[in-house]
Amino acid sequence: MLLEQVEYVRPGTVGEALELLAANEGAAPLAGGQSLVNVLKNRVASVALLVDITRLDELRRLRRAGDGSLEIGACVTYDELDRSEEVRERHDVLADVAGHIEDQQIRSRGTIGGNCCLSDPTNNLPPIIVALGATMHLRSRRAERSVPAEEFFKGYFLTALEPGELLVSITVPPLPKGSGAGYCSLALAADAKAIVRAAARVTLAAGAATVEDARVVMARLAHVPVRAAAAEDGLRGATPDEGSVRRATASAGEGHEPISDSHGSGAYRREMAPVVAKRAVLQAIEGARR
Amino acid sequence: MSEQGTSHYIETVVNKTSYRRVVRSRQLLVHFLRDDLGLTGTHIGCDTGNCGACTIIYGGRLVKSCMLLAPQADGVEIETVECLAHDGTLSALQQSFHEHHALQCGYCTPGMLMSATYLLRQDPSPSEEEIRRGIRGNVCRCTGYVNIVRAVAAAAAAGAGGSPAGVAAAGEGAKRSAR
Repeated sequence: MLLEQVEYVRPGTVGEALELLAANEGAAPLAGGQSLVNVLKNRVASVALLVDITRLDELRRLRRAGDGSLEIGACVTYDELDRSEEVRERHDVLADVAGHIEDQQIRSRGTIGGNCCLSDPTNNLPPIIVALGATMHLRSRRAERSVPAEEFFKGYFLTALEPGELLVSITVPPLPKGSGAGYCSLALAADAKAIVRAAARVTLAAGAATVEDARVVMARLAHVPVRAAAAEDGLRGATPDEGSVRRATASAGEGHEPISDSHGSGAYRREMAPVVAKRAVLQAIEGARR
Repeated sequence: MSEQGTSHYIETVVNKTSYRRVVRSRQLLVHFLRDDLGLTGTHIGCDTGNCGACTIIYGGRLVKSCMLLAPQADGVEIETVECLAHDGTLSALQQSFHEHHALQCGYCTPGMLMSATYLLRQDPSPSEEEIRRGIRGNVCRCTGYVNIVRAVAAAAAAGAGGSPAGVAAAGEGAKRSAR
């Protein structure tokens, strides 16, 4: 299969990439390509110039900073997240999510930046990125800015990225002792798209007798990951046991009109939302206790 | 920086042989291997990145060659199924596929062999679950996978992990320790 006519270029620096993106109308960054190449095959979008960013050292960095936060370059692959000792050290849930995406071949190429910038509502990483309170670092030819992950995802295949702007890296804040993360998806089969999904970050108060703070993020109830505010409120001050968590997350499906498709009806998604929310929160509590 | 354009001069090493070619931006890597280099062992099954028949090792990492573009071969060392046998002798893994009847129509076999080769480099003694995880990206419509898993397990037990005959493990993927 031949793609539609397209130009390709592989810049040597992020600066060159930004110049190319600014100077060429219809230019698109090519990261792992595990979605974009299929988009080009299907001809559902037209790209005039592919700017291959996969070999840019600045985008391939992955390190834990002195304060315990993770700095992840946009072109770090799922496989690298999965196998990174630095990620596993405190953010093992992020490594596990990345390590369970599709198959080895896709994990070898697919990138955290691509997974986020596509903003496909079925993608695995956006909800955990939001739950962990990450910050997205964007750069254009003229400026740099940072956007909280919660504000980065704007809609169905839509992000805060402006034309000519590139996601350069993601900072995931530290997950200190007493905090943990959790993630739970409901799907019809191991290979199927998630019907509904939850990610959570929980901090226990000293002594671990109560929940000090919680973030509960739901995916597939809307086009973008959404915080379950009532569940978060209900968890603050609650005892970290199954009964309390079940009560707190009972409302996780409310306030949204999720789509109905061949994987599940909107009503089913709403009904199952508290189930995945509870499981994600319980997993986060377990992590917080370790 | 590479030249911007619709055709590109590339230098690549495939199965230890150096090639210099001009390729088109719109050309998929699998077509470069098959049509330009004549390495038709790499199969095209679905063209959508789902079936894994076109699996190769690219820069030491397992990929589906229908999901990369031909100009992305530039400067990268590639291994295809043709590198497994050496002077007409099957690799231990290939021999094990033969002995365990791990193929029927054979269409998925090149991709399966590359995924299993990669797996055994990462982890010379994988569990059955790890073998199944390792070949998850490869669809077989004949065998039901049972004999493929057996063949990989038997090859691992016989010490087939590491490099296939005559081909040094290339790239960082091979250097990483198994998890």
